[in-house]
Amino acid sequence: MSEEARRFEDVDFGDEIPESFADVRLATVHVFTEASGMTFSRFNDHQAARKQGMPGAVVPGIMSQGIFAAKIHEWAPGCEVEKLDTVFRAPLIADTEVRVRGVVTDMDDGARTVEMDLTMLNEAGETPVIGTALVRLA
Amino acid sequence: MQIDIEAVKKEHVGFAFDETTFDIKAETLANYARGCGETEARFLDPGHPDFRAVPNYASNFHGRRNLPENFPADILRSFDAGKCVENLAPIRPGDTITGRSHIHDIYEKTGRSGPMMFVVHRMEFTNQDDAKVAVVDWRLVMRLGEM
Repeated sequence: MSEEARRFEDVDFGDEIPESFADVRLATVHVFTEASGMTFSRFNDHQAARKQGMPGAVVPGIMSQGIFAAKIHEWAPGCEVEKLDTVFRAPLIADTEVRVRGVVTDMDDGARTVEMDLTMLNEAGETPVIGTALVRLA
Repeated sequence: MQIDIEAVKKEHVGFAFDETTFDIKAETLANYARGCGETEARFLDPGHPDFRAVPNYASNFHGRRNLPENFPADILRSFDAGKCVENLAPIRPGDTITGRSHIHDIYEKTGRSGPMMFVVHRMEFTNQDDAKVAVVDWRLVMRLGEM
């Protein structure tokens, strides 16, 4: 990771966060659920989740929201994520391949902020989690 | 069960129904950040001079009640459609955060599975200095035909 801050002047409308994978291994979900108190079996146990009608253990919605924030920080170290809106359209399943994308959709010169569209894609190419962010840059 | 959305709005929107406090611990903040895949030391290292919660940490707070008393719907029959967090000041270890809940909006949409009621549950958070640190909108969806 580059520690150099991404400045507002370095960014242009349409710039993209390079596509990358989200770490949704069950072991990582455990770390999150222990810290967040979301220790329900549907998040932590594939078999228990299947018994509840899910395809496997579900990644908590707010963990996917946190992954979006982490990807923004990787792209623009030192930035401030002022607002992050996330829509949970379908369950995201642990131990699957999840790709994260982001694109700058608007810029405010005065506030030095950018708006971004964010997307998570599952192995079927569907978008179970989408979001928008307002990010203040250096 | 038939629900008059306008009547439910009039009765419940804008009225505070819960207040809960949360004590913020460094280890929990760091582990939460690790679970999200954070890479920046200001979120992972409690020794960092700017150590603080990740931007969506307030999304994790829940009040003692999720809906007002007498609300004509069951939280267990709803699903989580999304969360929006607005950050106004950092949340740091040692903070005592107070969250106050109210219903911000109620509206109806009709999808393929029929009419649905959307409830926007808003929590506003202040720290021990009464500074506003975050606002979280939680969108809950309930199928009207199942209520």
